[in-house]
Amino acid sequence: MDSIPQELIDAIIDNVSQTSLPSCSLVAKRWQRRSQQRILATISFLSEGEVWCWCTDITWGPDRISSYVRHVKIDEIYSWHEPALLSRMLGSLSSLTALSIYRTNIPDEFSGSISRGELGKGITTLDLRYLNYMLSTLTSMILSLPDLKELHIEDCDGAPGGPLPTYSVTPQRGPLDSLELLEQAGGIGETLAKFRFTSRRLTLGMYIAGMEQLLLLSSQTVVELHLYGV
Amino acid sequence: MTDLPDVWIQGAPPHIHLPSLPALTTLVVHVHTDRPSPHLTNILFSIGSVPMLTSITIKYERPTLLSHPPLEHLWADVDRWLSRIAKHAKVEGGLPLTMMRWALWEGFFPEFRESGGRVEVDNGG
Repeated sequence: MDSIPQELIDAIIDNVSQTSLPSCSLVAKRWQRRSQQRILATISFLSEGEVWCWCTDITWGPDRISSYVRHVKIDEIYSWHEPALLSRMLGSLSSLTALSIYRTNIPDEFSGSISRGELGKGITTLDLRYLNYMLSTLTSMILSLPDLKELHIEDCDGAPGGPLPTYSVTPQRGPLDSLELLEQAGGIGETLAKFRFTSRRLTLGMYIAGMEQLLLLSSQTVVELHLYGV
Repeated sequence: MTDLPDVWIQGAPPHIHLPSLPALTTLVVHVHTDRPSPHLTNILFSIGSVPMLTSITIKYERPTLLSHPPLEHLWADVDRWLSRIAKHAKVEGGLPLTMMRWALWEGFFPEFRESGGRVEVDNGG
């Protein structure tokens, strides 16, 4: 076993099914790291208790496996007993690049941390679905992610309320790689247009408010256009 | 035909106006009925000529596949605008139009085909 190059072991691990990875991680020491990296590349939290366990059991462990996490999905956490927990958990993930939040009440502490730039650096993909939100909160979060490349918003009822962020100079940002704005996106389309978001890949519902402005803004850059509800 | 909007019957594309899209290579439209909506007609009308366009897909989004071909006369305007797009396309072998989840008969979109377009049916997605 020792004579097998590490690259070959890694290639084997990269091609086994997700369900076989726990077994792979137990084959030998040299199989452990890559297997764990794949197991933990995407993790889902379906309750506040799971977030709590991650923060207490995993984050402070000796092997720093939290750095293997690239994508976090949070789903169906409707309330938080400890509102700071979400920020603590995400703050522990040094390699996080993608964040999906579905059907979850996002604590003010979390959106505030992102808006103040304390969290969110390195996140290139933000995927928000089935959220009931203050438009101003959502906008602040999106605008405060400096590395954002892919943005997906679906069924987020961005209720008006609260002031929209004001910038003496609109944050400079190049075109996104992908902007998806599907049904019931509230006023988010108009708001993104106001902040002059553009994208190379554009996916839009026909009845999104601000749809035409977004198309016009991206007219020179869009390479791939998907239109829903036609 | 009586339930179609007047604007469709008159053949004047309504609603959205697509801006010029000089870099566009891929257009995918997701539809919910087996007859073209004014939006679809209008999109294809207003897209005019797109120099970089290499593919168009019209995907039928209902959960069940169409079991019968759509009525060709309802698609005559779509065929016309597709034909205009195909004439301006610079794709070797002709501009491909993929009809996802449709049951089409072989001669559907005759003007588009005459203009060098290729119709492909994909029922896998």
